[in-house]
Amino acid sequence: MFRKTTAALLVSLTAPMALAAQPIKMCVFDVIGANGDMYNMIKDYALNMKQYGVNFELKPYTDEGVAIGDFNSGQCDAVAATDLRTRPFNRFTGTISAVGAIPTYSDLKTVLATLAQPKAAKLMQEGGYEVLGIVPAGAGYLFVNDRSIDTAGELAGKRMATLEYQKDAIHMVNTVKATVVPSDITNFAGKFNNGSVDTAYAPAFAYQALELYKGVGDKGGIVDYPLAQLTVQIVAKQGVLDEKTAQKSREVAWGMYGQAMDLIKTNEDNIPDSKWIRIPEADVQGYQEMFRENRLQLRDGSNGASKVYDPRMLGLLSKVRCASNPGASECTAANRE
Amino acid sequence: MESSLVMTGSWRLRAPGKLAILLLFLMMGGCSSFHPIYTPTGDVLTAYSEDEATPYVMQMSDSALACSMGEGLDPLVYSFSRVTDAPDKTGSLLMLLAANCAEAKAWEADLAYLRADYRGDVPAAKDAREKAKRLNALTAKRRYVVYQQAMRAYEYDPTDDGAKCPFLYNEQDEITFLLGLLTGMQAIVNDANSGAQAGVPRDIAPQAERAAQCLDNEKWGGLPNAIRAMVWLLIPDTRPDLSPDPWEVFRNSSELGVRKGIRASMALEAVAAETFGREDVLKDVIARFAQSEETFKVWKDYRLVDESARNVIQFSSDKYWTAHYGYRTPHSRFGSLSDKTEVDSSEVMNLDDLL
Repeated sequence: MFRKTTAALLVSLTAPMALAAQPIKMCVFDVIGANGDMYNMIKDYALNMKQYGVNFELKPYTDEGVAIGDFNSGQCDAVAATDLRTRPFNRFTGTISAVGAIPTYSDLKTVLATLAQPKAAKLMQEGGYEVLGIVPAGAGYLFVNDRSIDTAGELAGKRMATLEYQKDAIHMVNTVKATVVPSDITNFAGKFNNGSVDTAYAPAFAYQALELYKGVGDKGGIVDYPLAQLTVQIVAKQGVLDEKTAQKSREVAWGMYGQAMDLIKTNEDNIPDSKWIRIPEADVQGYQEMFRENRLQLRDGSNGASKVYDPRMLGLLSKVRCASNPGASECTAANRE
Repeated sequence: MESSLVMTGSWRLRAPGKLAILLLFLMMGGCSSFHPIYTPTGDVLTAYSEDEATPYVMQMSDSALACSMGEGLDPLVYSFSRVTDAPDKTGSLLMLLAANCAEAKAWEADLAYLRADYRGDVPAAKDAREKAKRLNALTAKRRYVVYQQAMRAYEYDPTDDGAKCPFLYNEQDEITFLLGLLTGMQAIVNDANSGAQAGVPRDIAPQAERAAQCLDNEKWGGLPNAIRAMVWLLIPDTRPDLSPDPWEVFRNSSELGVRKGIRASMALEAVAAETFGREDVLKDVIARFAQSEETFKVWKDYRLVDESARNVIQFSSDKYWTAHYGYRTPHSRFGSLSDKTEVDSSEVMNLDDLL
């Protein structure tokens, strides 16, 4: 009798502990799998989360679509992927990568610091999902196989590798009258390198990792203007972490900003100076206005665009830009974002 | 018979050669163990080490590789002291590298001790601390040898209060002598950390203080004055009247070091800050080191010295992090002693209108 009671007591004592140690499965996308920069960053994040009693079990995916698919089908409780793919789970944070909306890394820092505040917690939840952290993955740049493509006008008629699920990019490519060549992350580099497209856009890391230097060759280059700020977002089904721990998680992810930026800087420094195509300041202003009009269309679903962007995020990004550059014409425009 | 005649003839013919060798033996006077092959080999090796190997190694950036070389080659090179003049210059540098190997292991043991202490594992902490003490003793012994060899190489008697400055023929002589002094100071610190197991005489400190004045402070990135400042703190009696505050001297030396491309003074400043419990200085010097990276141009000829200084600063930072947070400095946090993320200090936007 005594034995039975003790055993029952032990079972009841150990049961919640076993539950607490239950790992949370996370599908992690990285182009080069478990040895990639992104996967390693998530590994650091998971380790940091252990001190708050959260045990993540990571599984690498080299195909982002499959990672998202497995998350959707319930094979993982959380997913770490680029915001281009996590957009459906949270349109607000998915709008961080709006075209031309964050022109500098210092603006990006302000945006991410703002979103890591406890006050922003509500904005991190949407439709049964919660964003558990955002880490920068580097600005997307335009890679061209001919340096003479250094104005938006010259993109007309050029073939551009475009991610087929990225509606905002497709709209942008149509705006500059270039030809969309539907691609995905696994094949756009090959298309650029074998010459089947003239241009592609990617963060600087692709220059070496995906050998985009082959496509750049002697004649091409990389346009030195951030088209969009790509981020890696960790999304979980709501309730996987309690409110307090979810906020801690966002702060942990934000704490990795410096580490992520070091990596980005190294990747950007790896591109030889001679390969960067500098744009005259006067042209930049024109592009900014073009990007802004595009964003408005993608916000309102006008001019043939889908409704992709969240107006609240566009408003926040506009506020950040005007705080760092108050003289910009958009800050006094009647149709300010 | 004929053959014996021939032999006699041959003896006659060879006699001058043997005489020459005999004379050479006599000329070698002090060196009783002259060997016709080994001795010249030793001389060649010594000359090659000084002329080629030393400048090559000094330019290296891989301090771990350099330390392995020190451990591997020191006994071989110094063994030539049995057949020719002791190669004290090269010997002191090789032993210096070997001491760095022992110290790197001592550092790891020290961090293991701090980690165990942080999580409250007393037996593991005690074990790691004992290991660190033994390795510090080994480091101290090696470093004391370095000091003695470097002083002997330039016929400088540090025990003589009125000793004249040694004749330092070229830049390499200057840095060898200077590193000898610095290493002597480090030997004292290591011995203290070993629980005085190595028995390094503490009067190295005032000796080094005097000898450091033989070197150009500006040229060597403030290191001579940094050595003096360290001694002033250890033995306040040695500090001359009207001399500036030692911490001021450190700061000035560290700045000079950054300008010259050799940050050894900064490493000494960090060691002093730890030794005398100046957490404010430690925090500051680590931050200054990390900050200097952005524009720093290393003095290429002595890159290895700068790398060793970086290791010291890195270890100081790691010790602090491990003691306070249980783990060593994350790469992106080097320069800061706080584990607080930038979330509190970065500019943020008001979200009220979005909520």
